[in-house]
Amino acid sequence: MKPFDYAAPVNLDHSLRALARGRGTRALAGGTDLLALMKARVASPDVLLNVKQLRDLSRDIALDERGASLGALVTLADIELDPAIAQAFPALAQAAASAATPQLRNMATLGGTLLQRPRCWYFRSERFECWLKGGTECHARHGENQFHAVFDTGCCRAVHPSDVACALSALKAEIELRGSHGPRRLAIGEFFDPPREGRRVETVLRDDELVVAVHVPRPAPGSRSIYLKAMDRAAWAFALVSVAACLRMDEDRVAELELVLGGVATVPWPVGEALRHLVGKPLAARAIAEAARGALAGAEPLRMNAYKLPLAQALIRRALHSLAGSASEAVSLAPELHRGPP
Amino acid sequence: MQTLVRPSDTHASGSDPGLDPYHATSAAGRIEGPDKVSGRARYSADVRLPGMLWAKILRSPHAHARIHDIDTGAAAALPGVHAVLCYRNAPDIPWYDHGRLFDRTVRFAGDEVAAVAADSEATAEEALRAIRVTYEPLPCVLDMASALAPGAPAIHGTSNRAGDPAIEQRGNPRRGLREAELIIDRVYTTQVALHNALEPHGCVALWQDERLTLYASTQGVNTLRCEVADKLSIPERQVRVVTEHMGGGFGAKQVAWKHDVIAALLARESARPVHLMLDRHAENLATGNRNATRQHLRIGAKRDGTLTTITARIEIQIGAYRAGGETSSVDGIYHSLYACRNVRTEQAVVYTNTGPAVAFRAPGYVEGNFALESALDELARALNIDPIELRLRNYAETDQRRRKPYTSPDSLRRTYARVSEAFGWRRYVRSVDSGPKRRGIGFAAHDWVGGGGSPPGKVRLTLVPPGRFRLESAAQDIGTGTRTALAQVCAQALGVDIATLDIALGDSNLQLASPTSAGSATLATLAPAIHGAADQVRKRVLQAAAELLLEPAQALELRTGRVVANSGRELSLRSLCEHLGRRTITAIGKRAANRRSQSIRTCGAQCVEVEVDIETGEVRVVRVVASHDCGRIVNRHLVASQVMGGVMQGIGFALTEARVVDPRSGVVLNANLEDYKLPTVADTPVIIHAALDLADTEANVAGVKGIGEPPIIPTAAAIANAIFDAVGVRLYNTPFSVCGMLEKLSGPPHARMCDNDEPR
Repeated sequence: MKPFDYAAPVNLDHSLRALARGRGTRALAGGTDLLALMKARVASPDVLLNVKQLRDLSRDIALDERGASLGALVTLADIELDPAIAQAFPALAQAAASAATPQLRNMATLGGTLLQRPRCWYFRSERFECWLKGGTECHARHGENQFHAVFDTGCCRAVHPSDVACALSALKAEIELRGSHGPRRLAIGEFFDPPREGRRVETVLRDDELVVAVHVPRPAPGSRSIYLKAMDRAAWAFALVSVAACLRMDEDRVAELELVLGGVATVPWPVGEALRHLVGKPLAARAIAEAARGALAGAEPLRMNAYKLPLAQALIRRALHSLAGSASEAVSLAPELHRGPP
Repeated sequence: MQTLVRPSDTHASGSDPGLDPYHATSAAGRIEGPDKVSGRARYSADVRLPGMLWAKILRSPHAHARIHDIDTGAAAALPGVHAVLCYRNAPDIPWYDHGRLFDRTVRFAGDEVAAVAADSEATAEEALRAIRVTYEPLPCVLDMASALAPGAPAIHGTSNRAGDPAIEQRGNPRRGLREAELIIDRVYTTQVALHNALEPHGCVALWQDERLTLYASTQGVNTLRCEVADKLSIPERQVRVVTEHMGGGFGAKQVAWKHDVIAALLARESARPVHLMLDRHAENLATGNRNATRQHLRIGAKRDGTLTTITARIEIQIGAYRAGGETSSVDGIYHSLYACRNVRTEQAVVYTNTGPAVAFRAPGYVEGNFALESALDELARALNIDPIELRLRNYAETDQRRRKPYTSPDSLRRTYARVSEAFGWRRYVRSVDSGPKRRGIGFAAHDWVGGGGSPPGKVRLTLVPPGRFRLESAAQDIGTGTRTALAQVCAQALGVDIATLDIALGDSNLQLASPTSAGSATLATLAPAIHGAADQVRKRVLQAAAELLLEPAQALELRTGRVVANSGRELSLRSLCEHLGRRTITAIGKRAANRRSQSIRTCGAQCVEVEVDIETGEVRVVRVVASHDCGRIVNRHLVASQVMGGVMQGIGFALTEARVVDPRSGVVLNANLEDYKLPTVADTPVIIHAALDLADTEANVAGVKGIGEPPIIPTAAAIANAIFDAVGVRLYNTPFSVCGMLEKLSGPPHARMCDNDEPR
């Protein structure tokens, strides 16, 4: 990696001032993403600012009747293992538990997971000048794109890697930022914004800002949430597709439903329109299947990733059936199953 | 999820435990275990020498290019840089079939271009980045289809076919096809898999005067010594190779790679010791891989299951170069596993602009076995014959290739019985298919040409004061437990406690011919030699004791630490050593040739249970039962550990492992352990080693055969067959990814089970 200076500021204000001073300064917390980017020379900061030791940057989880506040330095392991989180926000705990490995979850912070860069192998390889790094093309579009986005949000076809971000999106979290010019608080759907010309990054975070906390509103009584993730091995893999869903039933009718897909776009991908017609009605198998199909409307899969469409639909159906309390219904995609010896 | 690994089935079936010579020590722990878990064990990367430099290699970013110029001036001028090598200043050393150590043409992304040695890793890396190379990119071919297309750019000479196809035939395959009442005619493909041993390749090179020492991670200290001496044009006796401990090789460390010689050249150039270990990225580009294959297989059979013909046209993707070492014989298993009169294979080797292939645990057999055993399963289904019964009906009683009887003709049959019993094959009750997760079971058998061992193999055994024995072999322990197994064989052959034995391994300076750890050969080669050495040493110890005890040597017995006479008198080995004074008792044991009249094979079978999620395409291996014939079991933990490791590597090959190459640039996109997906602990099923302890005394006096390679061979086919059993989807292409599974599961109804109406 490129040589760099290291700084350990004493408090948040010093950190923010240091960030404001130069574009070459990057905040380091768990380091599970940034250090890998530096080794791959995708990121080459001049100064690393260690924010992990800051006393006024929170590493606590606080719950009250309004919801949960999680400090930026809370680790994924903290989220995974907090019983109150597991009870109030199952999707969040499940997402944290499904990410990476125990070792990585012990290091990775909440702030970092929201800000982690795509795992796209073209983006991560020094060999390719991809658009996201300032080049002119997305190599995945005509390359090996089995793990890439099925929704087209602009030039880049990488997917957002964070499980936790997906769950927080379904839970309508708000992201609290602090910059040298003061604080601001954004709905998570505003915080994530597909990279575009002039801002080739997945969030609207400014160079002189830090994520300081995440606030998750307590869902209305009776709400249930779930996070499901399909992987190509049982652990330590980013989602092929994931789904975070939060449902509240009023008697036997849908009162509220939020559903966000992971692994399908450059940012967590809320499914809005396709679900709207479910509200106010009972959650029947046919309606669920229809909604699942509708959720993928507008997808433009590439040469190798069309499998993500049936996969996403299956996860959506499974999530909704599970939240509705019915056992996951086998919707057989398979042909007549063979039965023979032995 | 249940992730339980059972170390081993209760105990081996086969020989009576009471007659098992290794019974007392068969569960012995690894001799080097405490050193390894405490960090004392020294691997090549741990070697530190005074004044040592750190070396790195610059690799081609292009899949195919001509180097016009290299400017190393800026790199050489960096403070701390001691040597820079490239084609301009390095000796012109021939390498591979047609290339050079530093070639002006690079033929895969990762090919060696230049190297530096500096006083820190960071400086070495900085120096690499300061080297300016001017490339003229050339058109490249990245897969076999494009390499064989008309007008494709040739990587060497005029064609991308590496020589003529290897053709092997017996009987009349055409007649066999005519006689068939049912034909399975399928094309199978297998992917490029990467070895990813825990320890990467590399070495530390030290020159003392004209003598070179390489502390190398190698599967063959003597082979490496010979190859490095040859490349450097110096006498073999001036090269010493030391391999104290290794973190695996899986076949990829059985040849000298360019980095071995580059380390030596940098050390000579800088007059300093040089540390050159590859990082994971380089490891996955340039130190070999399992060749991809395309296999067009036709099997003909009678309605009763009798095979009338087996034919296969095979193409092997060798990559940019022939790296040497064990050849990949995808064709081998077609000729041996089943009794069949009419067999023909045609195996072609194809160059592509990708990293060179090299032997990978049972090279060729893993690939061939997937196709053959998938086809056998398909045949069994079509004929409505139990898959194990079909295999029994075509049991090969003799080695049809060499026309010889096997030393253990029944052992394959016994693995069938053992594995099906331990698995509950016939008793298996399928869970009711209610949810999206469907279970199924699959079976696959295998044989393997290796495991018999062969000369040369020498060991030295010495009685050393104050009465201990010292066993020496140049052979290396690549992580399999060779050190422990050899000590057990020696202690048993002498009749002494293993604690009174010292063992020295992994040093070519011991001047003992030794096998490369390949072909599952190490134990089967050295154990008989140890028996020879032990017989000689025991005899001489007893003779010497006889003189002192004034008893006839025949009346004496060697025991731990002493010699005991029938009369009850005894002499401690300590006293014997004192009396011997400067005289030593030492003997060399030599591995005799195997009998020419018989053929040695290893073989086995596995049963697998899988669970397939028909909505998400996810496949989970639930349970594997494995039974393999490795002759007498010397150490059941070490055997079980090979079986489990092989099964896990087989699961990776079947489900998730594949090198991914960018189709335009030829760059490997997943040369790391994050994107190259090895199975994790969470993917580990219950693995039961249904041990068979069948001393093969026809094979050699010790009755032992190898177990390193066999356990990986049948796993992929058994999984494929289990997936078919679960969901009725037949898989012809490894690995069985979520993507591929979903395509199949949501595709049209599964293809016809066999092509029995194909025109004859």
